Amino acid sequence: MSRLNRNRLEAGGLIDRARPLDFVFDGHRYHGYAGDTLASALLANGVRLVGRSFKYHRPRGIFSAGAEEPNALVELRADARREPNSRATVTELFDGLEATSQNRWPSLGLDLLSLNRFLAPFLGAGFYYKTFMWPAAFWEKLYEPVIRRAAGLGRAAREADPDHYEKATAFCDVLVIGAGPAGLMAALAAGRSGARVILADEDFLPGGRLNTMAGEVHGQPAAAFAAHVAAELASLPNVRLMTRTTVFGVYDGGTYGALERVADHLAVPAPFQPRQRLWRIVARRALLAAGATERPIVFGGNDRPGVMLAGAVGTYVQRHAVLPGRHVALFANNDGAWREMLDAAATGANVETVVDVRPNVAPELVEAARARGIRVFTEARVIATQGRTLRSFDVLSPGGRERLAADTLAVSGGWSPCVHLTCHHGGKPAWNEALAAFVPGATPPGLAVAGAANGTFGLGAALREGAGKGAEAAGALGFPVPPLDVPQVEDAPFALTPFWHVGESRGPAFVDLQNDVTAKDVGIAHAEGFRSVEHLKRYTTLGMATDQGRTSNVTGLAIMASLTGASIPETGTTIFRPPYSPVALGALAGHHRGKDFRPVRLTPTHEWARAQGAVFVETGAWLRAQYFPRKGERDWLETVSREVKAVRASVGLIDVSTFGKIDLQGPDAGTLLDRVYINTFSTLAVGKARYGVMLREDGFVMDDGTTARVAPEHYVMTTTTANAAKVYQHLEFCLQVLWPELDVSLASVSEQWAQIAIAGPRSRQVLAKIVDTGVDVTNEGLPFMGAVEARVMGGVEARLFRLSFSGELGYEIAVPARSGAALAEALMQAGEEFAITPYGVEALGVMRIEKGHVSGNELSGQTTARDLGLGRMASTKKDYIGRVMASRPGLVDPARPCLAGFRPVNGSSRLRAGAHFLPLGARPETANDEGYMTSVAYSPHLGHWIGLGLIVRGPERIGERVRAYDPVRGEEFEVEICAPGFIDPEGERLRG
Amino acid sequence: MRIPCPYCGARDAHEFAYLGDATLTRPDPAAADAADRFHDYVYLRDNPAGRHQEWWYHANGCRQWLRLTRDTRTHAIEAAEPARRDATQADMPGAAS
Amino acid sequence: MADRSPHDPLAGIAFDRVPPAGAYGVTGEPGIVVSTAEEPFIALVAARNGFGASVAERLGRAFGGPGLDRPHAGFGSGSTVVGIGPGRFLVLSRAEADLPGTLRAVLGTEAAITGQSDAFVLFDLSGARVPDLLAKGAPVDLDPRVFPVGDAATTLVAHIGATLWRSGETGWRVLVARSFEASFTRFLLGAGAEYGLRLEGRG
Repeated sequence: MSRLNRNRLEAGGLIDRARPLDFVFDGHRYHGYAGDTLASALLANGVRLVGRSFKYHRPRGIFSAGAEEPNALVELRADARREPNSRATVTELFDGLEATSQNRWPSLGLDLLSLNRFLAPFLGAGFYYKTFMWPAAFWEKLYEPVIRRAAGLGRAAREADPDHYEKATAFCDVLVIGAGPAGLMAALAAGRSGARVILADEDFLPGGRLNTMAGEVHGQPAAAFAAHVAAELASLPNVRLMTRTTVFGVYDGGTYGALERVADHLAVPAPFQPRQRLWRIVARRALLAAGATERPIVFGGNDRPGVMLAGAVGTYVQRHAVLPGRHVALFANNDGAWREMLDAAATGANVETVVDVRPNVAPELVEAARARGIRVFTEARVIATQGRTLRSFDVLSPGGRERLAADTLAVSGGWSPCVHLTCHHGGKPAWNEALAAFVPGATPPGLAVAGAANGTFGLGAALREGAGKGAEAAGALGFPVPPLDVPQVEDAPFALTPFWHVGESRGPAFVDLQNDVTAKDVGIAHAEGFRSVEHLKRYTTLGMATDQGRTSNVTGLAIMASLTGASIPETGTTIFRPPYSPVALGALAGHHRGKDFRPVRLTPTHEWARAQGAVFVETGAWLRAQYFPRKGERDWLETVSREVKAVRASVGLIDVSTFGKIDLQGPDAGTLLDRVYINTFSTLAVGKARYGVMLREDGFVMDDGTTARVAPEHYVMTTTTANAAKVYQHLEFCLQVLWPELDVSLASVSEQWAQIAIAGPRSRQVLAKIVDTGVDVTNEGLPFMGAVEARVMGGVEARLFRLSFSGELGYEIAVPARSGAALAEALMQAGEEFAITPYGVEALGVMRIEKGHVSGNELSGQTTARDLGLGRMASTKKDYIGRVMASRPGLVDPARPCLAGFRPVNGSSRLRAGAHFLPLGARPETANDEGYMTSVAYSPHLGHWIGLGLIVRGPERIGERVRAYDPVRGEEFEVEICAPGFIDPEGERLRG
Repeated sequence: MRIPCPYCGARDAHEFAYLGDATLTRPDPAAADAADRFHDYVYLRDNPAGRHQEWWYHANGCRQWLRLTRDTRTHAIEAAEPARRDATQADMPGAAS
Repeated sequence: MADRSPHDPLAGIAFDRVPPAGAYGVTGEPGIVVSTAEEPFIALVAARNGFGASVAERLGRAFGGPGLDRPHAGFGSGSTVVGIGPGRFLVLSRAEADLPGTLRAVLGTEAAITGQSDAFVLFDLSGARVPDLLAKGAPVDLDPRVFPVGDAATTLVAHIGATLWRSGETGWRVLVARSFEASFTRFLLGAGAEYGLRLEGRG
């Protein structure tokens, strides 16, 4: 197999040669090994062209070996599992992997849209803002479709994602982010102390830099040392080693967001395995050991496939045993890159040239290079490159200009510590002149930084710092930390001369490879006044998209700094925000999608209603029976009208268990109720219920409902379904904050009691058949607004209320929830002779509108009791919440829209809720607006549509005609104002 | 954000409902200037950058109203006290022994 | 949803029904066994202002447990007392049909008593993977080192209000409002399928 991997070294690397893997890229079959990434496997097979760039469709290759990759973005997998913008450099190879290059048409090799390159002069900085300003209509029709076709990244899948995602929470004493040298030592120090440790790393193999370097640590190859430490950590019961896990955000209170790619390294997740898991990690202390990202130097033609970060070249050679090319050159400004290339050469890479911008380079490095036959150019720079994939490059040195052959050009401009997470609370990184890099500034509470992420670039120093800070974190939490034997590694001195951009470049010199932003674009932004880094970013798109400028931020702002004459720290960086790297929306949703978006609540009679053929509707979290269609009924309106007529003519039943129910017990319960309701409850007789309205402190209505007194110190309150939790919270506020001296205990009993309403002229007869012997339900025994505790169905405890929402004689029967379905059955049986009819919330709504009762549409939070015609209920003899503010002039203005009924002048018109009222003949303008229709229904009783609404001086205008104007539906109709009570306005039915 | 509930222990802020300024006292409704005082009580709020006292309700926990002292700039929580301190303490006159 | 793959633990399970008893998820020895526990009598005890400690102590003496006013589950013979808020306790009993009456006799006027026998479904979770399952729903640190047997927490589990406590080394109890029974069971299946989950029928 390895003969097919023409760029694979015969031996070495952290790949399993016994486990060959097949994969497909752009329709071609290739082979790799377990331990490969897609990028390393492509390089092993000699695939160098992997994508086209975002704007100009320039050919692009693999640029890095990590999460910072700007170029090698592919569509991974196919069909419903297709995932665009997957970074080949962090995609773990699996057998059967399928990937497709992006942003090319029709093929990668022949990309017709690459003619964008010739349009480059028009696509420069700010092109969106300049070119497409005018005419506006062209945007949707012409510009956007063309741009969408020509520019952009991968295509999302068209089908719904077949995999599932989930969320989880973990807690630990010490969270270590990054399992490189510093992270491993930190986790070991903290882990051995007994502290609960989580060590998270985005790689599938812990070790970080240890896995990509040549040389030994502790007398063994560096990678073997890493494996040894990882094995010990895995064996500690108090340590959780989480690979394939990216910590992407730091939130308040020591909370960290992390994404675990549970099954991304498999073709398809194992049965029942989630694809990804979103972790919320709560850590008492955390240590960031996320390493550093190499940055390039900007020069002409620096985007050509074959130009690659020097550290990436080292990684492919050492970790994957892959030679990215046959003729390797280096362009650098620092000693570290030289050592990387010398190690690569020692491992088998053919390094031919080194170009360094510095006039003086450590003699031992120069000697070592020359000893290997490497040509060395100092005080030199690369100014141009040639080839579809890299073939040659031009060097400008004191010796003149020279063209040199190379298929791989390693670049290093130094290293940028991964400070991102330290900035998530608004902390700014600090510029370190000696390192020519931003290092962490103020960090979020509890978060320390170690190793390269802290600017500690030497391996030995990173190991020591990691061990020290790991011990410190555990020690601060009181864990006894045993001394740790930190491996001794001698660090070579750090030597770097900052260098960002080759001014003598020929051809476009890219700063941001992912967004096709060139050094020239930065110049344009500067010339046009977009000089703040934040403006630079928005104007040129530098640092946006999936890589968030990992390899371009610092170079971009350094170039801007040189243009403005300000220093780099004065220029500053853009703000790093979570997430550190892209997180799929699916992972953020977890199981909560589709019908699982939120939990549903089922009523005690849910199964019974289903058996009755109910259609259900979501009302808040509840599923309620909306109506009960019967065979032959044409539509919902026919069904609902039948249900309404049945109730008005005989009897019907509906589950009203969803109302909030609150028990109030204690000597001060009546006092509390007097203070929260506008009317008085302390005087309510035991065995009676009363309708109450409660206000918010600002004087507007909060909720309504009936409250019954079942014992001298025991009331039962009902709330609307929607406001159950809010009212409970409000009552607790009154008791705990406002009046802690009141002796009242609250208990929510919403779940304890199933409650079924029966309504209609026959309801008393039905009730009489289910109550136990001796329970008096006559008009005298249980008068209107009566409330008694009783037994029903042969010994089942119950609360009986004589209430009515429909306007008919009606009762509500509460029984323990488990008896709810039995109660429904018993009522059906008892009502059989009266053709008792189950009805749903639609019919309930129709009947309350016919009766003129207010409901959620009217209790909008913008209405006063007076607006709703309930002002006379308000007691003048006591204070209650909202009383003072409700008497403000604006709230008692007689010109406020008040509740009224509406009927169409043309009897056949369908009314529409939301329609606004205008005087007849008035133009539809805000100045003429007199209110709006809140609720409408077709009244089977009256044979036409009716409505409730709020209209200026409504009660004074009965009989007047106005225009109901509904611009949303393009309808309007004339309506007559009437009293809000279309049926039995005297209330004879419910008192009879 | 993690809120140190005195009863439940540290819990995520998602379990709580926020109300706002906890330094306000409901005015005397019988006062001559009650209308003005209620206006201030309902609508006027300081918006301090820094230390702030505010009400949080542990809706999905012990159902206590808590008075939190929180730094609005950093979300650091200095203290979380129950609104009704005596609820768990038998220190009221006449409490059973 | 129609688009759920057969790998999805919730494929084919109605969202608005309590799923039937049976084996869910990966085959083999289940990592989690779920049943709805038989402790049919429940009442809420709310101590009047200032009586929290006294009520806790009396409940401890009458029903077992340490009698402390904190989030803790005390176990007696056939009964459990769980602290859910300051001065607030849920008392669960296997045998006391008139639990409110018994409690009134024990507590006199120190507390308000409210029958809640029908308000909750009590889930019994056992098996080695229960902590992993609960980590997917409960935002509370349930590590045995910080949440020993007897500790209790009232919190949200997968957006559903719940009171849970550790009833044994590998046993957990979760009390959930009855209307959420189907949704909560659905959470258990979704989160537990990768470990294998056996849902037992109503006892």
